[in-house]
Amino acid sequence: MADPVVQVSHLRFGPVNKPILDNISLNIEAGHFMGIVGPNGAGKSTLINIIAGLIQPDNGHIDLMGECLTHYSRHRLLKQIGFLHQLHDNQPRLPMRVSDVVTMGLTSYATPWKRGNNKSAVMEALALVDMETLANRDFRHLSGGQRQRVRLARALVRKPKLLLLDEPSAALDTVSQDRLFHLLRRLCNDTGMSAIMVEHDVAAISSYVDSVACLNRQIHHHAMKGENIPESAWRAMYGDHIQIVAHDSGCIGCHPGTDEFRHD
Amino acid sequence: MIDLMNNFFNSPVMSASLIPALLIAIVTASMSVMVMAHRLSFLTVGVSHASLAGLGIAVSLSLPLLPVATIFAVAIALLLALMPKRQGISEDAGTGILFAGSMALGIVLISTASTARVDLLGLLFGNILTISSDEKLWLYFLGGLVIMVMFLASRAWWSIAFDAVTAEASGLPVAPLRMLLYGLVGLTVILCVKLAGIVLTAGLMILPAACAWLWGRSLVGLWILSVSFSIIGTMAGLLWSYAYEWPSGASVVLALCLIFMISWIFNWGKTWLKRSDNKV
Repeated sequence: MADPVVQVSHLRFGPVNKPILDNISLNIEAGHFMGIVGPNGAGKSTLINIIAGLIQPDNGHIDLMGECLTHYSRHRLLKQIGFLHQLHDNQPRLPMRVSDVVTMGLTSYATPWKRGNNKSAVMEALALVDMETLANRDFRHLSGGQRQRVRLARALVRKPKLLLLDEPSAALDTVSQDRLFHLLRRLCNDTGMSAIMVEHDVAAISSYVDSVACLNRQIHHHAMKGENIPESAWRAMYGDHIQIVAHDSGCIGCHPGTDEFRHD
Repeated sequence: MIDLMNNFFNSPVMSASLIPALLIAIVTASMSVMVMAHRLSFLTVGVSHASLAGLGIAVSLSLPLLPVATIFAVAIALLLALMPKRQGISEDAGTGILFAGSMALGIVLISTASTARVDLLGLLFGNILTISSDEKLWLYFLGGLVIMVMFLASRAWWSIAFDAVTAEASGLPVAPLRMLLYGLVGLTVILCVKLAGIVLTAGLMILPAACAWLWGRSLVGLWILSVSFSIIGTMAGLLWSYAYEWPSGASVVLALCLIFMISWIFNWGKTWLKRSDNKV
């Protein structure tokens, strides 16, 4: 059996008496699409950043593509990962064409002796996010949603084995969100790429992902497709101020008779 | 005009200083793209002024000016790269502190040295016309080094300027690359001192890319435009300097300012016309 793409064991980050993440263990196989949900401050972005090698955990072990993630292996392993982080800077300053932004995602971009003709790979990545017609446009003149799609193309152009996404739908309208989740589902099925995606709205992602991890400092539940998330897991994440109000039979984690969950 | 050009190119002083001046123009214009992309304009001003302390130390200890100033400027630039992270001081505050402190040290050291050894105006405002053969060699060495490192690291720096977090997650060593960039800014500042002096160096390190920013749409485009503007500005400045006996460094910076003004007005007009068309 092939090694899991991601194997996280007993991971802790933060002080022992008040950890931000505690005892996190996860296994992601090739082609698996996992959603991570949880309230603000639950440690979702921190977990993604640790798997992306941006933050060192205080305890625990991470294997990527069957190899331990260390200071020395990091550089090589990260070349097989695509990363789309949470948006902070919505006003890009550098004058760049859309195709140049996507070219930056190629693993050979920063090595001058390995530069080749990568135009077809760039156009292919742009086509995945329906942006190929805007390849020559100035990136600064795009809308927030278009920029986000270009950033996604940048993460996909290197054909990663693992894609890490931190709230990728933040700048997208509902139709673009659905298209994005559909695209990720298709890439996981067709190419064997694995994806871990942090999202707030479990109802929006539930028909696309293979599993949902409920995170609030710890993973309270890891529900596979078709499996319910128990009410205790919701309460462990969001406290007692949640009310389950509706249901969609296709989604993961909802009780019969409910369509979405709400917390106040 | 043709007579002026003929006299300019036939003048032994001007022809001796033309190649070093053009080399400085190319190197500083190349670096200025990264200075703009990484928002290092204030750092450039700080390092150039702080290098007066290096020159002061060289004058006091009777050491060669440019090598000592180079080491000092690179050290200051690296210190500025490290200080904010280690001590929790913001980069602009750190630059301000080192800028003022080093400049004060430089003024004290130079004022105590024999005035016969120091061309203070030349240090402050530059004079490419008095460049010596030793200084030319030092200039060619530094210029070649900066261009070589730029060729190897420019795309990585560009990627970091666009999105440092994603660059780091792609496996780029962001912190060492940033240190290298700061060190190279220090080197380039010293390269400029002979042409524009400590006070005007920042003009050569900022203006070419600032002009290109208004026209370019890609890294290569910006670089070509920046170098072109810098060469045009340097040639125009040296011609003015020759024709009206103006200081060479100040003339070059004035010419670059003029190019920036023209670019800005042209772009402003273009945007205004576009908006008017949209309203109609």
